[in-house]
Amino acid sequence: MAKNRLYRALSRIVDIRPGEEIIVFLLFLYFFLIMAPFYVIKPVRNAEYLEDVGSLGLPIAYLLTAVIMGFFIHFYSKLQVRVHRRILIISSLTFFIVTCLLSREFFIKEYAWMPYAFWVWANIYVVVVVTQFWLLVNDFFNPREAKRLIGFFGSGGLLGGVLGGLLTGLLARAIPDHLLLIPAGILILSGFVVNYIFIWQRKTSLPPDKADIKEKEKERKPAKVGFLDSFNTVRKDRFLIQLSAVVILTFMVATFVDYQSNTVVKSVLERKSDMAEFFGYFNAGLLVLPFFLQLLMTSNLIKRYGIRITLLLFPFILFLCTLGIAIWPGLLFAVVIKGSDKSLSFSLNQSVRELLYIPISPELKTKAKLFIDMFLNRFAKGIGALILLIFFFYPPPEFWIRRVQIVSIISFVFIVAWIFFNLKVSKEYTDTIKQKLEMKWDRADRLVADQVDVDYTKLVFDTIESRNRSSVLYAMHLFDLIKQDKLTPEVQKLISYKSDEVMVSSLGGLFESGEALLSPEIEESIGEETLEKDIKEIMSLDVYQEVMKGYVEKVLVDKSREGETAKMELAKAMGLMEVQSPLVQKLDELLLDESPEVSRYAMESAARMKKREYVPLLVKKLSSPVTREDASIALEKFGSRVTGTLADYLGDPEEELELRKEVASILARISTQEAADFLSWEMEEAGGEMDDELIDAMDRIRSENSDVQFSEDVMNKKIAEEVKKYYQILVDFCDLKPEAKEEQMKKGLPKDLSVVLMNVFKLLGLIYPREDIARAFQNIRTGTKDSVAYAVELLDNTLQKELKDILFPIIEDLSLEERMKRCRNLLRNFPNL
Amino acid sequence: MEISAREKSDVIIFDIEGEIRRSDVSDVTLHQLVKDQLDTGKRNILLNFKNVEFIDSFGVGEILASYISTHNLGGKLKIAKISKKLYLIFQVTMLTKVLEIFEDEEVALESFIKD
Repeated sequence: MAKNRLYRALSRIVDIRPGEEIIVFLLFLYFFLIMAPFYVIKPVRNAEYLEDVGSLGLPIAYLLTAVIMGFFIHFYSKLQVRVHRRILIISSLTFFIVTCLLSREFFIKEYAWMPYAFWVWANIYVVVVVTQFWLLVNDFFNPREAKRLIGFFGSGGLLGGVLGGLLTGLLARAIPDHLLLIPAGILILSGFVVNYIFIWQRKTSLPPDKADIKEKEKERKPAKVGFLDSFNTVRKDRFLIQLSAVVILTFMVATFVDYQSNTVVKSVLERKSDMAEFFGYFNAGLLVLPFFLQLLMTSNLIKRYGIRITLLLFPFILFLCTLGIAIWPGLLFAVVIKGSDKSLSFSLNQSVRELLYIPISPELKTKAKLFIDMFLNRFAKGIGALILLIFFFYPPPEFWIRRVQIVSIISFVFIVAWIFFNLKVSKEYTDTIKQKLEMKWDRADRLVADQVDVDYTKLVFDTIESRNRSSVLYAMHLFDLIKQDKLTPEVQKLISYKSDEVMVSSLGGLFESGEALLSPEIEESIGEETLEKDIKEIMSLDVYQEVMKGYVEKVLVDKSREGETAKMELAKAMGLMEVQSPLVQKLDELLLDESPEVSRYAMESAARMKKREYVPLLVKKLSSPVTREDASIALEKFGSRVTGTLADYLGDPEEELELRKEVASILARISTQEAADFLSWEMEEAGGEMDDELIDAMDRIRSENSDVQFSEDVMNKKIAEEVKKYYQILVDFCDLKPEAKEEQMKKGLPKDLSVVLMNVFKLLGLIYPREDIARAFQNIRTGTKDSVAYAVELLDNTLQKELKDILFPIIEDLSLEERMKRCRNLLRNFPNL
Repeated sequence: MEISAREKSDVIIFDIEGEIRRSDVSDVTLHQLVKDQLDTGKRNILLNFKNVEFIDSFGVGEILASYISTHNLGGKLKIAKISKKLYLIFQVTMLTKVLEIFEDEEVALESFIKD
C-alpha cells in the first residue's frame, strides 16, 4: 500500500515505472542530503577565503586544489581498490562529518592556513560525494532508465542546495561561527539513507534477465583501479579523451566565471558575514531556477533535442553571459554569469555528462570517473588558475574591471573549443552505443550470398546429376566448370566420386566415366585457353549450323524420354551459340516446352543471351512454382536492362500476385537505383497486398548497395502507415474478450505484429544508416533488458523527432496499460509525417 | 598437315598427320580431297585422326563440310581415333549426336559393312 502511494505520488512528477519507486526516492533523498551540506560549506568557504586572503588569492586556491586533488585521487584510488563501495561511501561520509566539525574549531581558533585548507577540503568533499552518488545511480539504471530519471535525481541535489543556501542566508549573521554544525548534522542523516540503499539493494531480487544479472554483478564488484590505471584507461579510449577535453574546458571556463563574479562581489561587499549571507541567499536563489529546470525540463530537453543540442546549450548561454559581463562588469552580470554557470552546470550539464558515461562498460566507467570527475576537473581549475595568474601581471590589481574584461576574452576562446569538443563527444557517444549493440544476424540471402557461391554449387550439383543422364550434358557442365576456372582438384574428386557406377552408354568407350574424362591428358588439354574459343568458333560456323539443323528439328518433335534429354542438351548448347545463330531461333520452343527440365536449361541459355524477346516468356514462367526459381534467376541475369520491363509487370494489377511478388524480388537482386525507384514508386502508388515484399525488396537493395537512396517523404509516410497498423492490431487485440484473445493468439497475431515491426525497421533502414537500424532492431527483438535500452538510445540519437514520437510507444520498456494508453492516444490524433 | 588416302573394304580412309589449323592450310584441303573422292563415286569415307596432334575450329569446319558433302550425296563419313580433347569439344558442341566416332579403325570399317 505504502509502495503504491509512493509510486502514485512520484509518478505525478517523474516518468517512473512500477517497482522503481523506492530506489528512485532513496537516491533522490540521498542526493538531497549530500548537496544540502555543500551549500552551507560553500558560502563559508568563499566568505572565509575572500575576507582573509582576498579575490587576488583565488587563483592560488584553485591551483592548490588541483595539486592536492592529484595526491588525494592517488590515495582515494588505492582505497577504492581495497574497499567495497558501501564501506567506502560510509567511511567517506564519516570522514567529512568529523573534518567538518574540526574545521569549525579551527576557524574559531583563526589559524592562518585554514581558508586554504578549507577551500581544498570543500572541493574534495563535493567531488567525492557527487562521484560516489552517480556511480551508485549507474549501478542501478541503464541509459534509458537513467535518461528518464536523471532530471529527478538532479533536482534532489538542487533542492538540497536550496535548503543549504537558505539555511546559510538565514543563520549567517546569527551564528556565523557555528554554520558548519549544519552540514555535519545533515551528513549523519545521509549516512543512514545510503546505508539503507545498500540494504535495499541486497534484499531486492535482480531482474530475471541473466545477462543483466551478470552485468550488475560485475558492476558490484569493486574495480581494481589505481590512479595511473585510470589515467591509462582514459588515454587509450577516444571517447574518454574527448569527454576529458569537454570536462577540462568546462571547468576552465567555470574558473574564469568564478573569478569574474567573486572579483565583482568582493569589490561591492566588504564584511565576511555580509559575504556569507550574500553567498548563502545567492546560492539558494540561483538553485531555485535550476531546481525547476532540472525537475521539469532537463529530461524533456534531452528527450526532445537529444544529447547533442542539450550539450551545446550550456556553453552557448555562458558565451552570451561572458559577453554581458565584458560590456557591463557590475553586480547584476556577476550574479547572472555565476547564476547561469552554476544553475546550468548543476542541472543540464551534470545530467548530460552523466548520461555520456552510461554506454561505457562498468569497469571503464569506474576508472574514467575517478580520473575525470575527481581529478581532471580540479586539474582544469588549476590550469585556469595558472592562466589567470599569468594575466595578474597586467593590468595592475586596482583595475579590476579591466581584469574582468580580459578574462572574458580568454573565456571566449575556451568556450569555442568547448563547443567543438561537445560536438565531437556527442557523435562519439552514438558510436559508443553502436559498439554496445551486437549485430546478431544479417539478411539470410546476403549471408548465403556471402558464404556460398550459389551458381557454382548449383553447377557442381548439375554436373554430378548429369553424369547419369547424358554424357553430352555432363561434358557441357564440365566445360562450364572449366570456363569458370572452377574445375579444382576437389571438384574433380567430387564429380568423379562413385564413378565406377557410372556408365554412359553413348560414349563409344572413350569417356565411360568421369574418371576417364579427367585423365591427365584431358586435364592438361582442358586447361588450354583455346578450348572455349574453339567451341565458340565451331558453333558459329555455317557448316555447324547446317549439320545440326536436321538434328535439332528432329529433337524438337521428339516426345520420348530420350527426346527430353536431347532437348535438355540442345537447350544448354544454345547458350553457347552466337545470339544471331539460326539454331538459336528455336530456343523459344524449348522455353515453352512443358518439361521443367528442358525449360530450366532453356531459361539458363536465354539468360546467357539476354535477348529482350525472351523476357515475356521468362516472366510467364514466374507464375508456376515449378519454374519460378529458375525464371527468376534467369531474369536477374538480364540485369538493369530489363528493369523497366519488370517494373511494368510489377505495377500491372492484371498480373498474378505471386508473379508480381517475384518480380519485386528480382528487382531487389538487380539492386540498382532505378530498381529501387520502381519499387518505391510501386509501394507509394499501389502497395497494399504487396507491401511486405516491396519493403523487403528495398531492404535487400539497401543491404547490397548503401549508395542507393530512397525518398524520405515516401518512407516516412509508409513508416507512419505501418506504425498505425501496428497500433491498430495491438488495440484490436487488447479489446478482445479473453477467449477470443486466446483464439487470435493461435492464429498468429504476434507474427502480424512482428512482421509489421520488421517492416517499420526495414523502412527506417532505407533512410537512416541501415546497419545502425538493423542493430537496434535485432537488439530490441532478442536483446537483454540493457541492450534493448541501448538500442532505443541509439534510435533516440538517430531518428527525427516525429518518428520517435510514433515509434517509441511500441519499442520502449512500458507497461501494457501505458503502451495501450499511448497507442490509443496516437491513433486518435495520428500525426501526418 | 599431311593427308594420305587408302581404300579398304570399299571405304576410303584418309590418314591425317600433323596439325589441322587455319594458319597451316596447304593447297589441297581435307574437304577438297573428300570432294575429289566423292566425284569419283566413292560414298564411304573414314577420317583417321590417329596421328593428328592438333585441330582447331577451322579443322572441325573441314570435317563438317566434308560430312555435309558426303551426306548430300547419300554417302557416309565417319571418324576414328580422335583425341580426348577433340571428343570433349564434339560433345560440348553436340556433334557427337550427328557424327559417328570410333575408337578403332577396324570397328569403324565394320560399321560401314553393317550399314
